Amino acid sequence: MFYVSIFFQYAAQYLKTRLTYRADLVVEILSDLLFQAVNLIFILVVFGHTTTLHGWSREEIIFIYGFFLVPYAIFTAFFNIWDFNDRYIVKGEMDRVLTRPVHSLLQIVIERMELESLFGVITGMAIMFYAGSRLGLEIHWYDPLVLLIMVIGGALIYAGIFITLASISFWSDSKTDLMPMMYNIGNYGRYPVDIYNRLIRFTLTWILPFAFVGVYPSAFFLGRTDWYVYAFLTPVMGLLFLTIAVVLWNQGVKHYRGAGN
Amino acid sequence: MNVVEVEGLRKEFKSYSSRSGLAGAFRDLFTRNYQVLRAVNDISLHIKKGEMVGYIGENGAGKSTTIKMLTGILTPTAGRILVNGMNPHKEREKFVRTIGVVFGQRSQLWWDIAVQESFRLLKKVYKVSDDAYEAHMGEVIATLDIGPLLDKPVRKLSLGQRMRCELAAALIHNPPLLFLDEPTIGLDVLVKMKIREFLKEINRKYQTTILLTTHDLADIEALCERVVLLDEGKIIYDGRLDQLQKNWVEGKQIHFEFHHPVERHALIELSGGADVKWRQGERCNEWIAGIEGDEEAVSQLMSRVIQQHPISDVKVNQASTEEIIRNIYEEGLTHG
Repeated sequence: MFYVSIFFQYAAQYLKTRLTYRADLVVEILSDLLFQAVNLIFILVVFGHTTTLHGWSREEIIFIYGFFLVPYAIFTAFFNIWDFNDRYIVKGEMDRVLTRPVHSLLQIVIERMELESLFGVITGMAIMFYAGSRLGLEIHWYDPLVLLIMVIGGALIYAGIFITLASISFWSDSKTDLMPMMYNIGNYGRYPVDIYNRLIRFTLTWILPFAFVGVYPSAFFLGRTDWYVYAFLTPVMGLLFLTIAVVLWNQGVKHYRGAGN
Repeated sequence: MNVVEVEGLRKEFKSYSSRSGLAGAFRDLFTRNYQVLRAVNDISLHIKKGEMVGYIGENGAGKSTTIKMLTGILTPTAGRILVNGMNPHKEREKFVRTIGVVFGQRSQLWWDIAVQESFRLLKKVYKVSDDAYEAHMGEVIATLDIGPLLDKPVRKLSLGQRMRCELAAALIHNPPLLFLDEPTIGLDVLVKMKIREFLKEINRKYQTTILLTTHDLADIEALCERVVLLDEGKIIYDGRLDQLQKNWVEGKQIHFEFHHPVERHALIELSGGADVKWRQGERCNEWIAGIEGDEEAVSQLMSRVIQQHPISDVKVNQASTEEIIRNIYEEGLTHG
């Protein structure tokens, strides 16, 4: 309860600051939209050359992309830890975080949130509705609920992977390029994993489970019954990866060496 | 009951060294050379409620590392540590509610938002009730004279203004124990005085225990009865500041600057029965007499010397705390 109220305090403060710089806010949302449009155009270009991709139609791929945008938006809104090493370890901001009576990871989440990224939820939903109606998908009463669970599961997977990467900084403060690389790998989850070779598919399912942030949960809505098991593993994988990440984080905090003065 | 109870506290850091050359870099990939550095080496420290303790040491002596262990930021390598009856890094979130921390070189406040918004967020974080906040902070704000700064964003404040706000921010939950790491660094004399007055005031009023590190010994002289001296991770002195001065002050020092070159034996003859140590100063024809004894001995010596040898300048001084401490670090504590 305390954490919920702290979260809203920070969010309110964040909005207050952001709304004083309205132009920035608009530019940021527009650039996000442009980025999403480019990705969409890429899909259209690919399907200008072929009608199906390993048995998946253009609308299905677009649907998967639309779904992906939703958990991804939630992830980018709350987990801006890509510069954790630089900002918190090297510059020593972690010292300050550790002198406050709120869990350190949660503090970083709330002080680094970028709520405007949540706009991606709307774009993603719109794309899903568009592709879904072209595919003639019906909406059942339980679909919104399943969508919510899948989206949370997907966001947690992303969060788990990136928190794990950030935790490495507690042991080694040398700079790594893992973070940007991981953002790239994340994009592979937007395509049906059966188009890749087995090793990549295995990796995207069990090791860096980005497939659960795109294609697997979408398979449920697309009625691909052979992948239902994977689809329903999404929240399980999300919780599992987040748990691993938080345990690692807590261990890492004990190894924090502090920034030299 | 002691506020701080520390027994055999130790912190070791591994520092890696890299081999030279490309071949060395490859070897580093597999086995890295490292040295274990003891930043804090088995120190024991007890601080009672209401004490104001100055924690002094050169750069790298282990001051900050100790403070970071006491505040729960760093996990100790070994030793027993109990602050406010809690183990800082084990019960971190509960523990930090009972302390206030000011790092002079690092801001606790949000850069972009108005000071009072920062205070409001911290008030929520520390679960301070509106009544308690009004009663306590109203006074803090008045004493530190930061009322007019409250609606300005931190980035627009001067260093002195910011430090006063930092101090107020650290006191929002009225903690019984306050850690100040270089709180007056880079501040002008007036702001320093204001901060010192304020610290005395809260110590008197709330019995707030204060542990202070600083490079400005005037802070320590103004505030602390007790000082802890740290060198290479070990405590080399823990006791009253005036005791340190008493043990260390080598009576008085008289600086003579003569017109002509003077021989040492001629000066020693003039000393008479008094206990005088003569040494040559840095300037030409400058001699310094260290004399044990009262004012009378000093004036007698001066009159004898001046009658014999014409002088161009003379001054008498007492060793300052800064000099004492410099001497301790240069020569060790064996003296006095």
